[in-house]
Amino acid sequence: MTKPKILIVDDDPDLRRALKIRLRANHYDTVQASDGYSAISVALKENPNLIILDLGLPAGDGFVVLERLQNSDALSDIPVIVLTARDPQSSEQKTLQAGATAFFQKPADNNELLDVIRATLPNNWPGTALPS
Amino acid sequence: MNNGHTHVLLIEDNPGDADLVRLRLVEGESTVDVSCVDRLADGLAAMAKQPPSVVLLDLNLPDSRGADTFRKVLDQAPGVPVVILSGQDDEALAMKALHQGVQDYLVKGDITSTHLERVMRYAIERQALLRSLEMSRRQQLEFKNQFLSHVSHELRTPLTSIHQFVTILLDGLAGEINPEQRYHLQTVLNSVHQLRAMIGDLLEATRAESGKLRVEPRCITIADLIQQAISMMAATAKERRVGLEVGLDSRIPFVYADPDRVLQVLINLIDNGIKFTPPEGSVLVKACLVNADPNMVYISVADTGCGISPEARTLIFERLYQDPNSAHNNRSGLGLGLFIAKELVELQGGKIWVASEVGNGSTFSFTLPLYSLAKLLFPVVVYEGQLRDAMVLVKVELTPLASVSRSAWKEVCQQSLETLRRCVYLDKDLVLPVTGNVGFSETFFVAASTDLERAEIMMKRIREQLETRGGLKASGMLKVSASAVPLPGMEEGKTLEDRVQALADCISAMAMSFLGSKPPEVGTETQVQPS
Repeated sequence: MTKPKILIVDDDPDLRRALKIRLRANHYDTVQASDGYSAISVALKENPNLIILDLGLPAGDGFVVLERLQNSDALSDIPVIVLTARDPQSSEQKTLQAGATAFFQKPADNNELLDVIRATLPNNWPGTALPS
Repeated sequence: MNNGHTHVLLIEDNPGDADLVRLRLVEGESTVDVSCVDRLADGLAAMAKQPPSVVLLDLNLPDSRGADTFRKVLDQAPGVPVVILSGQDDEALAMKALHQGVQDYLVKGDITSTHLERVMRYAIERQALLRSLEMSRRQQLEFKNQFLSHVSHELRTPLTSIHQFVTILLDGLAGEINPEQRYHLQTVLNSVHQLRAMIGDLLEATRAESGKLRVEPRCITIADLIQQAISMMAATAKERRVGLEVGLDSRIPFVYADPDRVLQVLINLIDNGIKFTPPEGSVLVKACLVNADPNMVYISVADTGCGISPEARTLIFERLYQDPNSAHNNRSGLGLGLFIAKELVELQGGKIWVASEVGNGSTFSFTLPLYSLAKLLFPVVVYEGQLRDAMVLVKVELTPLASVSRSAWKEVCQQSLETLRRCVYLDKDLVLPVTGNVGFSETFFVAASTDLERAEIMMKRIREQLETRGGLKASGMLKVSASAVPLPGMEEGKTLEDRVQALADCISAMAMSFLGSKPPEVGTETQVQPS
């Protein structure tokens, strides 16, 4: 059975590594990108089921990535969860308007993040395994 | 004087005095041009058209007298220097004017041209100095705020890394850990949580200082919020072996406040209470009504801790204050919690204070306004001392698609509410405060002073606006409907207030019955099929 595939976009390699461990333990496959440009190319190549996106990124920040995703026929249906150190009061509304599904400020609670990932992935995902 | 040209606006109704001042002005050597008006209204109009370099102002004019005159001028143009032309007998008033922002005064009949010129020059210079001081104060504040918000952002990145890897270890994702290792890691995690809270406080305090804290009052049940706060703090209390008790007056009606912000204040006070109470002590949270103050609910958090000295009590709500004599070394905060709590309570129309005795515990109390629809409705439904002649209740229902996350939906609802407020006429329509905590599907009501036929226009506008903004189209469904509100009769002995109250009761009952016919919302996973 295939597992849901999540693309992690963050310029901090430590955070990417930590999220990978956390998500794999919860039966998700992960792929990674470290900047805005490669986020789009990896998304096109890997066709992930969900994207976890940082806002402060080199080579096209999170908002640029959101806009490119929205404008791409192939990618516009992929749900995006924003995970950023930025202040929700100034950024949350903007990211949701730009097409993101949810907003989390770092450091985010793991269980809340996993709950939203579970709720956001298309229903009846054939491979959705039980959470650990 | 000021790069050559000085434009003087002389507001003086006595032609003799006006001519005299004009003469003295022209006698001086500066290039001065004078425009003279004899009424305050004309003066204010001239200032609005072109701000003068300085205003010479007589206080007793045909359309304004005394202190009112200079207050109106200062209100209209706070940046323009004002010099008062005062009579021999009202120097006291002139002194008062100086305290309130007027630059100087001249006593009529005692004016020479050199004197007049010097007074005007100083007035202009002083005003410019004040302006630049105020500007640099604002720049500094802005710089400090940007700095703090930058710092708190940068601190979050390494903190996130620590948080992630500690929880990876704790959850056994990197292999089994023994009980002692678990205990140590749990200590690290607690510190991470503390640090995260401090960073949040730092940002909140910055916002409070620059007036950017937001509150969104709704119609809420205070008992539910207190219970929620208690259950959130139960684990901490148990860990420190401090009892946590509740005393609720069952008669408390709805409260008009922001539930998230009230919870924030409650958590802060309860957390402080637990922190400063020794094991086997207790913290009691109470809510009650007070006869002497019928429009407010009184909420208190009392502990049996070490108490607060009188000196500390006066400073405790100040930013960064920490009691240096505090018996416990419990300084695990920045000293911002009570400052933020005070700002939040005051923003919601309440006040906060503390009563305490050293060694005998402390009681922190705060008030919040009770919800009164009649009070909110009054300015909207009363026009020229009469009740308006038609009233419609418009219902706006938002239902989320099943795939939408809760946080995204909450934001969509908030956006939609703001859009909705822009769709109505502020002087004759009222968007009713939202009832309860944010649920999954959301219903807003608008009480509109219009008839059903004309309400159609408003409903069309609401539909169009909501569907084009705030991401509603992608995440939920919208239904807008309306019903007429029966107006209360004009029975003998009924005051206008009684009738507004009757109208408010009727609208409340209608809104409640609409809500009652809906499926349960909070915390259920009801799937809604898109139509």
